[in-house]
Amino acid sequence: MSTDVMIYANGLTKRYGSFRALDDVSFEVRRGEIVGFLGPNGAGKSTTMRILTCFIAPTGGVAKVRGHDVFDDTLAVRASLGYLPQRAPLYLEMTVLEYLEFAARVRNLDHSTFKKRARSVVEVCGLAQSLSKEIRQLSHGYRQRVGLAQALIHDPPILILDEPTSDLDPNEKAEFLNYLKQIGKDRTVLLSTHNLKEVETACARAIIVSRGRVVADGALDDIRAKSGRVRYVVSVQESASDSPYRGKGQLPRSADVEQALSGIKGVKKVAELPTDERAHAYEVASEDSTDLRPEIFRMVADKGWVLLELHRDTQTLEDVFRQLTIGDERKNRQLGPSTDTHAAGSADDEDEEEDEDDDEDEDEGDEDKR
Amino acid sequence: MSSETVEKDSKKKLAAMHEAGESGSDDERDDDDVAEDRPAKNGSSAALASAPSGEKIVHERPGGASMIWTIARREIASNFLSPITYIVTAVSFIVFGAWFFYHKGGFWQVDRASMVRAFDMVPAALCFIIPLYTMRSLSDEKRVGTIELLITMPVKDSEVILGKFIGSMTVMTAQLALLTLYPIMMFKWPWHIGELDWNPFWVGMMGLWLLSAAGTAIGLMWSSYTDSQLLAYFAAMITLATLYAFGQLAVVESLKGAPGDALAFISLQSRFEPFSRGIIDSRAIVYFLSITVLCLLVAFRSLESRKWS
Repeated sequence: MSTDVMIYANGLTKRYGSFRALDDVSFEVRRGEIVGFLGPNGAGKSTTMRILTCFIAPTGGVAKVRGHDVFDDTLAVRASLGYLPQRAPLYLEMTVLEYLEFAARVRNLDHSTFKKRARSVVEVCGLAQSLSKEIRQLSHGYRQRVGLAQALIHDPPILILDEPTSDLDPNEKAEFLNYLKQIGKDRTVLLSTHNLKEVETACARAIIVSRGRVVADGALDDIRAKSGRVRYVVSVQESASDSPYRGKGQLPRSADVEQALSGIKGVKKVAELPTDERAHAYEVASEDSTDLRPEIFRMVADKGWVLLELHRDTQTLEDVFRQLTIGDERKNRQLGPSTDTHAAGSADDEDEEEDEDDDEDEDEGDEDKR
Repeated sequence: MSSETVEKDSKKKLAAMHEAGESGSDDERDDDDVAEDRPAKNGSSAALASAPSGEKIVHERPGGASMIWTIARREIASNFLSPITYIVTAVSFIVFGAWFFYHKGGFWQVDRASMVRAFDMVPAALCFIIPLYTMRSLSDEKRVGTIELLITMPVKDSEVILGKFIGSMTVMTAQLALLTLYPIMMFKWPWHIGELDWNPFWVGMMGLWLLSAAGTAIGLMWSSYTDSQLLAYFAAMITLATLYAFGQLAVVESLKGAPGDALAFISLQSRFEPFSRGIIDSRAIVYFLSITVLCLLVAFRSLESRKWS
């Protein structure tokens, strides 16, 4: 294991009875990385974070934080972490200052260090006006700020934040993400969220989990591309109408264009898009991330057709996310006597394609390690 | 996971905690920078050395006692901020006063300067009062979720349990201390209605304190099993009341012979009885302390079981 690996998870599995909350989750987070941990509700984000923070133990697998095993060396793990659980559960009867003092005392900060740290944390989290208020009186957004403040008070090298921005307003979110980028330079941050914009703003890398499994892990660009669903939109002039036709030979027929596109090497699927009668428009899906635009252009030019439009759509993270995790939603809406084993079986079927991606990821991960 | 593996795992963990605790007390005050130069002393230090090199090694944790006190302090503050504490104290003192002085002729009927009468009633009352202080301690943290934040700080589960216990015991002790106001006001100042033999009284108070410790541990144990305060209250109250009622003559006599004796032996009432007469019974002290330790251990295991649930 590289010395720079701050969070290391290998084959994490967590079962609740027959329900698998986590199924063989493996990933690494290095120093200085801000990693977005994405997934729909119930995908296993919080479970993973709870394992990493030693709140629960995995049923199987190994997790290490800074080289300390979360099971055997829990105090060292917890001392290295700043953790904000979901919805920031705080002692409501304490004031903000009392709470921060409590956190500092548990973290063994002496008074002068606490004062210094508190000043910076209060500034960062915007708590100056609420220090003497009882947490009970604070809105959810402010409670979340207090939760963040306690996670930062001891200046931890690793931050694990479970949906830290869920109750913040857009301005606060932007500010928080900026701050995160700033402190993330020499720290390690694992940030769970289902807001993809945030991931795109703050993180260079994302891990997507779905139904307890890692379905994608890598740099955002890679994830966008790796879903293997880069698509091209091609439209070719179909009828000349008013202006003179500038192509060579006959106007192309729909079937010709489709056939020609399908013939290009690397094309996986061609589907016609609805257009008016002036053009044939097709959506072309490619097999991998190699750029097919030159091939498409060459083909159209060789045929003498008139190319009206050609562009490549790299998908937004949101598309990828939906694609990778759509099964969850489908399963949620299924009715009927679906026992766990049955559900798991059908899930496996749906997942086949994703598993391939998954394997690729793991292979690459192995290469990185070597 | 089978219960056997759970047990094995938790033993392993206990051992690890123990080890970490030991090395912790050596290491925690040390300067972080020298951590790497130090030769590996034991397993835990070896684990520390495996942390990424060239970086500050965080093993910052106050000592066990200071950690327990931090948790206990929070617990005490929370108890004294809660209106329940004041309501329970006020009501119990009004009821106690009325009973002590007026029930069936009360104190005046005895016609002696003695507080023995107090020790007839207070233990039974404690069965209802103690759970009020312990019902929130862990169940509320579980309900609100604060336990997650607390436990993911570098705190040992045992420190959480001990801190909670000390927190609740402090409130109970304060309540018992208030009880001493009765004899002080009656026999010292402002009234002086007679010469009280203080020794039996203090022995009785000691008995009450030991009984409270056992009761608090029982309450804490139930509180660790549920996230409902109400359930925690009734479970603890019923346990205490049952243990107390075993000592009633009617119960003991209906079960003649060994079963009756055994019941009488584990009863809070019969164990407390010598204290109320001013006798320090070492068997009873062992009994109360055993219950306390046992229930705290069960609470510890219950808190730990979250990991495998």
